[in-house]
Amino acid sequence: MKRLLHYSLLLTVMVLGLTSCVNDDSDMDDIIAQYQVEPASIELDYSDMTEADDVPVTDEADSAYNDYVENSAWNKVIEINYDGATATVNGRVSGVSVQTSGAHVTVMNMSGPVKFVVSGTTTDGSLKFYGDKRFQILLNGAQITNPHGAAINNQGGKTMYVVLADGTSNRLQDGATYTMVDEEDQKAALFSEGQIVFSGRGTLDVIAEGRGGIRSDDYIRVRPGVKINVYSTALDGLRANDGIILDGGVINVETSGVGAKGVRSGGPMTVNGGRLVAISNGDTRITDESDLTDTTSCAALYCDTLLVVNGGTVKLKATGDGGKGMNAKWDVAIQGGTFMAVAAGTRLIKSPKGVKIDRNLSITGGYFYTYSRRSDPLDVSGTTHVAPGYKTYDHGPKVITIAY
Amino acid sequence: MARGKRKQLIATLVLMLCTAIFPTLSHADDAGLIVSAGTSRKLAKGLNAGFEAEFRSRNSFRTASRVGLAADISYKVLPWLKASGGYDLLIDNNREKITYQDDGVSYNNWRPSYWGVRHRFNVTLTGSHKIQRVELSLRERWQYTYRPSKMIDNFDFDEGEWEDHEVKGKGKNVMRSRLQVEWDIPKCKFDPFASVELHTTRQLDQTRVIVGVERSHKKKHNFKLYYRGQFYRDKTEDTNIHMLGMGYTYKF
Repeated sequence: MKRLLHYSLLLTVMVLGLTSCVNDDSDMDDIIAQYQVEPASIELDYSDMTEADDVPVTDEADSAYNDYVENSAWNKVIEINYDGATATVNGRVSGVSVQTSGAHVTVMNMSGPVKFVVSGTTTDGSLKFYGDKRFQILLNGAQITNPHGAAINNQGGKTMYVVLADGTSNRLQDGATYTMVDEEDQKAALFSEGQIVFSGRGTLDVIAEGRGGIRSDDYIRVRPGVKINVYSTALDGLRANDGIILDGGVINVETSGVGAKGVRSGGPMTVNGGRLVAISNGDTRITDESDLTDTTSCAALYCDTLLVVNGGTVKLKATGDGGKGMNAKWDVAIQGGTFMAVAAGTRLIKSPKGVKIDRNLSITGGYFYTYSRRSDPLDVSGTTHVAPGYKTYDHGPKVITIAY
Repeated sequence: MARGKRKQLIATLVLMLCTAIFPTLSHADDAGLIVSAGTSRKLAKGLNAGFEAEFRSRNSFRTASRVGLAADISYKVLPWLKASGGYDLLIDNNREKITYQDDGVSYNNWRPSYWGVRHRFNVTLTGSHKIQRVELSLRERWQYTYRPSKMIDNFDFDEGEWEDHEVKGKGKNVMRSRLQVEWDIPKCKFDPFASVELHTTRQLDQTRVIVGVERSHKKKHNFKLYYRGQFYRDKTEDTNIHMLGMGYTYKF
C-alpha cells in the first residue's frame, strides 16, 4: 500500500510539474501594437511657406489666362473705406454705381474691369456686387462683419479677383442668421456666383457662423503667396461648385458644423502647390424627411468629381463621428506632393475613414498617408493602382503609407 | 483469478484506455489533467459527508484551468437509492475569446483569458443495481451554477484600445444523466469502471466518457486513475478535451 501511495504521489507531482502557469492566450502583442498606432499630427499650420515664383500665364489661348489678375488693366479704381457704421466711397467710374446704406455698400458694375480697394472696419456692414463684369477686390486691411448675411456677396457671374494686399490682415465674418433677398443666393461669408481667384501676399480670415466660409457657384483658384484661414461653425469652409485649383498659398480650414465639409469641390479639383490643412470636427448630420432618415457624415475634403494632386501639401483630419479625412465620389490621382488624411472620430452612426473613394485610386508619386482610428484607413470601391518604384509601402490595419 | 490473468486484464484495460483516448484526438482537441483529493466521513447510518479539492489543466497539460472545492452530503434512502446535495466553489481560468468582423478575417475584439469564480449547487439521485460482480448505476443530477459579474480587460480593435468589459452575472441550469458500470474483479486490486454522462440544458450540450480503474485499501484509501473525454456540441464555445484523471479519497 505504501508503495502505491508513493507511486501515486510521485506521479501526481510529475504531472503537476508539467502543468506550469503557461498562459494559453494567442500572442497578440504585435497585432495590438498595429492597432494602437497613433496618427500623424495634423493641425492648422500658419507658418510661412517658401513657394516658387508665381508666373502668370501670358498665352491668351490658355484657359487659365483670365484667372491672372495681371492680365487685365486696372486703371478704373474705386476706394471703399469702412469706419464703424459708415462707409466712405472715393472715386468714380463710368458705368459703375456705388450706393451706401450705413456701412452696407452695393455696387452695380456695368463697366469693364474695375478695381475696388477695400479697407477699414465695420461690425455691421457688407459689400455686394451686381453686374456681369469681372472685377478686382483689393483687400487692404478690411475687417467686415455682417450680422445679417454675407460680408462680401457677388451676384455677378464673372470672375471676382480677391487680392490680398501685401502684408495686410483682412477679416470677413457673417452672422448666425441671414436676411435673404428674393431670387438671390448668399451661401457664405464670402460668396460669389462667379469664379473667385485669390492672389496677393496678405492674410484673409473668414469666420462663418450662419452658412459657409467661402463659396463660389463657379470655381475657385488660389495662387501662391495667399494666406487664407477659414473657421466655420455652420456649413462648409471652402466650397466651389465647378472645381478648385490650388496653385499655392497657405490655406487653413476648420469646420465644426454637423455634416459640414472642410473643403468641398463640386467639379474637378487640382492641387499643384501650396499647403492646405483642413480639419472637420463635426458629427454626422441626421435629417428626417417623410419617415426617411438620411445621414450625412463630415469630411475634411469632399470631392464630387476628379481629384488630382500634382504637388503641394494636403493635410486632412476629421475628428467627429463618422467623419472622413477625404470622401471622394470619383477618381483620385496622387501624382506628387504630400497627401495625408486622418480620421480620428467615433463610429456611432457612420464609419470614420481616412480616405473613402467611390471609384478608383491611382498613386504614382509623392507621399500618401491615411489613418483611421476606428475603421478602414482606405476604402476604395473601384481599383487601387500603386505604381512601382515606391520607397515605402506600409499597409497596416489602421494606417497606410506609400512614399516615392 | 490467476496473477498472470490479472496482469493481462490490467494491461488490457490500460490498452483500452489508450485506444479510447487517441483515436478521438483530433488536431483541434485539447488535453489536460484532473487531480483531486478528498475525504468522506460517515455521520450516521446511511448519512455521509464529503469534501474534495480539485485541480484541472488544459492546453496539453500546460495551463491551469480550474481549482475547485466541493462539499456534499448524501443519504441512502433505500438500499439501491442514494440522495445527495452539494456545493462547489469553482475558480476557473476562462479561455481567451477572439471575435471577428463580418468579413471573418479582421479582428473585432480580443478578451484575454481571465480567472473568475462560480458557485454551483446540485441535487442528485443515484440508483444502483448489482448483477453478480457488475454494478450498474444511474445518476440524475440537477445543478445550478451562478457566475457573478466581473470587470475584465477587452481589446477593441475598432477603437484600437483596451476597454473595461463587464462579464455579466448569470445562472445556468444543467441536467446531468450518468450511466456507470463498475466491475468488481475477484482477488484483483483494481476495479475497472466506465461511464457516459450527458449534460443537457435545452439541448444536449456536452457528453462525457470516462474509463478508468479504482483501487481501495482497507476501505479507507481509495485511488482512481481514469481517462475522461469531454465532447461539446458547440465547438465554437468549447474545445473537446481529453483528460487524464487521478483521484484520492480518504474515508474516516
